[in-house]
Amino acid sequence: MSAELAIRDLEKVFSTGKPAVDGVSFTIAKGEIVVLLGPSGCGKTTTLRCVAGLEHPTAGEISLDGDLVSAPAKGILTPPRARNIGMVFQSYAVWPHMTVRQNVTYPLRTRGMTRAAMTAAVAEALDLVDLAAYADRPVTQLSGGQMQRVALARSMVYAPRLLLLDEPLSNLDAQLRLRLRDDLRRIIKRTGLTALYVTHDQQEAVVLGDRIGVMQDGKLRQMATPADLYNRPADQFVAEFTGAASMLPCRLVRREGEFGSVEMADGRRVEAWMPGAPAIGAAMVLAIRPENALLGAAGGPNCFTARVTSLRYQGTQTIYELDALGGRIEALELGTAARHAEGAEVSLTLPPALTWAYASLP
Amino acid sequence: MSIATTSPRLFSRAWSALLLVILAFLIIYPTGMLLLGALTDANPVIDGFANMQLSLGNFATVLANPTVHAALGNSLLACTGGTLLAVVIGLFFAWIVVRTDTPMRGFIAATGMLPLFVPPLVAGVAWAILGSPKTGLLNTVLASMGIGFRFNLYSLSGIIFVFGMYYAPYVYMFTASALRNMDPSLEEAAEISGASAFRTMFTITFPLILPAIVSGMLLSFIVMLGIYGVPATLGAPANIPVLTTYIFQLTSWSPPRYGTAASVAMILMVVTGALVVIQQKVLSGRSYVTVAGKAFRPRTLRLGPWRWFTFALAVIYLFVVVLLPTAALLIGAFRKFLFIRNLEALFDAKQYSWLHFDRLFSNPATIDSIVNTMEVGVATALIGGVLAFAVGYTVARTQAPWRRAIDVIATVPVAIPGLVIGVAYLWAWIGLPGGFYGTIWILALAFVARFLPDTVKVLTSSLMQIHRELEEAAWLCGRGTLSTIATITLPLARPGVIAAMTLLFVLSIRELGSSLFLYSSQTMVMAVHLLGYYEGGNFSVTAAFSLVQMVLLAVLIGLTNLATRSSAPSDAVGSVGRAG
Ligand SMILES: Nc1ncnc2c1ncn2[C@@H]1O[C@H](COP(=O)(O)OP(=O)(O)O)[C@@H](O)[C@H]1O
Ligand SMILES: [Mg+2]
Repeated sequence: MSAELAIRDLEKVFSTGKPAVDGVSFTIAKGEIVVLLGPSGCGKTTTLRCVAGLEHPTAGEISLDGDLVSAPAKGILTPPRARNIGMVFQSYAVWPHMTVRQNVTYPLRTRGMTRAAMTAAVAEALDLVDLAAYADRPVTQLSGGQMQRVALARSMVYAPRLLLLDEPLSNLDAQLRLRLRDDLRRIIKRTGLTALYVTHDQQEAVVLGDRIGVMQDGKLRQMATPADLYNRPADQFVAEFTGAASMLPCRLVRREGEFGSVEMADGRRVEAWMPGAPAIGAAMVLAIRPENALLGAAGGPNCFTARVTSLRYQGTQTIYELDALGGRIEALELGTAARHAEGAEVSLTLPPALTWAYASLP
Repeated sequence: MSIATTSPRLFSRAWSALLLVILAFLIIYPTGMLLLGALTDANPVIDGFANMQLSLGNFATVLANPTVHAALGNSLLACTGGTLLAVVIGLFFAWIVVRTDTPMRGFIAATGMLPLFVPPLVAGVAWAILGSPKTGLLNTVLASMGIGFRFNLYSLSGIIFVFGMYYAPYVYMFTASALRNMDPSLEEAAEISGASAFRTMFTITFPLILPAIVSGMLLSFIVMLGIYGVPATLGAPANIPVLTTYIFQLTSWSPPRYGTAASVAMILMVVTGALVVIQQKVLSGRSYVTVAGKAFRPRTLRLGPWRWFTFALAVIYLFVVVLLPTAALLIGAFRKFLFIRNLEALFDAKQYSWLHFDRLFSNPATIDSIVNTMEVGVATALIGGVLAFAVGYTVARTQAPWRRAIDVIATVPVAIPGLVIGVAYLWAWIGLPGGFYGTIWILALAFVARFLPDTVKVLTSSLMQIHRELEEAAWLCGRGTLSTIATITLPLARPGVIAAMTLLFVLSIRELGSSLFLYSSQTMVMAVHLLGYYEGGNFSVTAAFSLVQMVLLAVLIGLTNLATRSSAPSDAVGSVGRAG
């Protein structure tokens, strides 16, 4: 039955030298879906394969319900076949020499089930992914989306302790991807499986995950609920990766708990949220998402004048590039009509809770 | 639930060790014995290994021997000439087929590969029938037309001609795929900068595929160097020794000069080994030509009326390498008397009969040799197929220890000509009690060793096409390595496995070089029996037997193509030419 996954200080160094996974720790509660999000090459797949037992970590521990499965320091390495984990591969890996039913039955054959129990389990799994009508087709006659669902059914049919999914939607066309990502969450939630899902697509991560972990260069930068990730990015990389387009240099002048004041290049002061405990006078970066830079709203703190230097009209929205606070700030407004012209003076409000300051990287 | 890591590690150590032991037994032990043989003057049959004196004496004698000089010189001349001819023909055909609008290119490409399937001995026999100076069919035709010119295939140029014609497809395969995989924009860029089509060809196209040309060239040279059938049929009547025929001669003297044969074989092996190393180096530098995984649509040059000229050249080539020899064998096999007075006599139906086939099959040794060959073929295909799968899987798919060493040892036989393997196995087993020497098993094991690199290559390339995740998915479903191989890998690799096993079967039917040293009167194989007929001077029965072999090979290859429902993987086709 579905289990709790705990990963502690996971590290994987390939023979090439640089660690592909570098000290990653997190836990997934029973029945929770956690998404690992990050740019290509950041170590998501490697993390997943370590959990599956397909890759041997060089340090750290992985346990399922307290049961250690990988712990190189203790010489423990449970082979994949003994982990009772399900996995949907990026290539799907459905076996081309078998029918849909044979693919899904395969994992049950070594589990000492009666024929009737197997048939029932397979029928249930195929029903779940809506493929009951295709059971006896050779898989080579299926579309990409159907193959993906065969892979899903095959990985869930034996009620594994944990479900792993490696970019399962990345080989599908955009339309199908949108539909299947909603389906996926519904199906996984219905089975109650604990799931670890890997993707480089933010939209997918937000829709699917109960929590999202952002990775960069083998490190886990932040693990949080989607709302926290978007409203409280833990560092500059996470802010930038999730869409903060404007980065302005500044200096910390005052701090009270999580909030404080920074001084911009033009001498103005901005109230902002800041993680950690930066020292007064420290060089910082102010990060703002275009959606959080409000045009025209006057009054309150953080209200400045700005000039529109250029605008990009995108049909249902317009992105303004503003000259303000001694730098460039992007602001986005919804609507099919652009409200400001190039060169116009506008007022700009930056809500302090959605304006973030981070210590500059050395 | 946790399974300690020690047991799988121990298992994979034991597995690798087992493979290494088998490979050592098949490859390293005989090669070592060959070296030992070259360094001693003892005769292993008479003296045993007890009172052996190590010395470099054999090498000194051999290197001072004028016949060895002549043989080495002839070998190098024949192979150089043959290679150059093969490159000219092969490159030209590659260009015609891939880059021009010559009519019937597909047909030309397909039939142009046929010579690869003809055993060198059979090719030699056919050309002896066509071009022997006195009775050759071509010369009969010339005489009856009143032309004074005569062909003489019993000569070095005859050997060069047959080598060049029959190994052109080798060069063709290498260069055609390089031409096909070349990014056409490289050539377009040259033409846009003002180069003419021919300038582009010589300054861009050929330099870019140079590694492929050189590699194909070296490979054909290596294969020719080890061939016995052609120099035995065309060189022997005119007393032109080459290394391979000289080595065999040494062992058939009485008493046999096994030590000297071993040292000449060592020389042949060293030359071949050096060439193989150079070829591998050249091949590893080819990366700039082909872009992996990208399929280009090659540019075709419109030749206009010239395309009939290129077409005519292709037809002439096919006529010379396919039609003429086939006709020669048919005429030789079915005519009561090979001597043909004039052209009318050639078409006299009364002159044709099944007589020679009757004589061929009334000799019980013929049936025996066919049965022996089939037994050896089946044994080789099964043992070799299983071993090659084990080696290929271990090297390509596992993290087993020492797999680099396994890979290297399994590749070594590429550099050992068949004849040398024969001498090595002779040295390895002839002096040992137990009676292994003289059984069909020694032939089968020698063939397994000799063709291991080719078999592993075919199997590895079909294993490479099976996505690793297909196996990983089975592991996660709870299967162990063996169960995964049985239920996922083998079924998916089936075409490759069948191709590899047929390849082994076909190669072992053709193989002459190593059989010469390993057969006994009970284990005579077809190729050796055929050579016996030829050397006995009976051209007609030889021709009949050649036809029987060709039909057998054709049926076999046809059946495989049916079984795998596709043309054999190109690796397999390329390897077919290696035996002889
Ligand atoms: N088998 C391997 N050998 C060497 N390096 C590898 C191997 N697999 C992955 N890497 C490297 O590890 C890093 C992380 O890879 P991966 O986990 O596949 O990234 P992601 O899935 O996030 O795109 C990359 O730099 C990649 O080149
Ligand atoms: Mg990945």
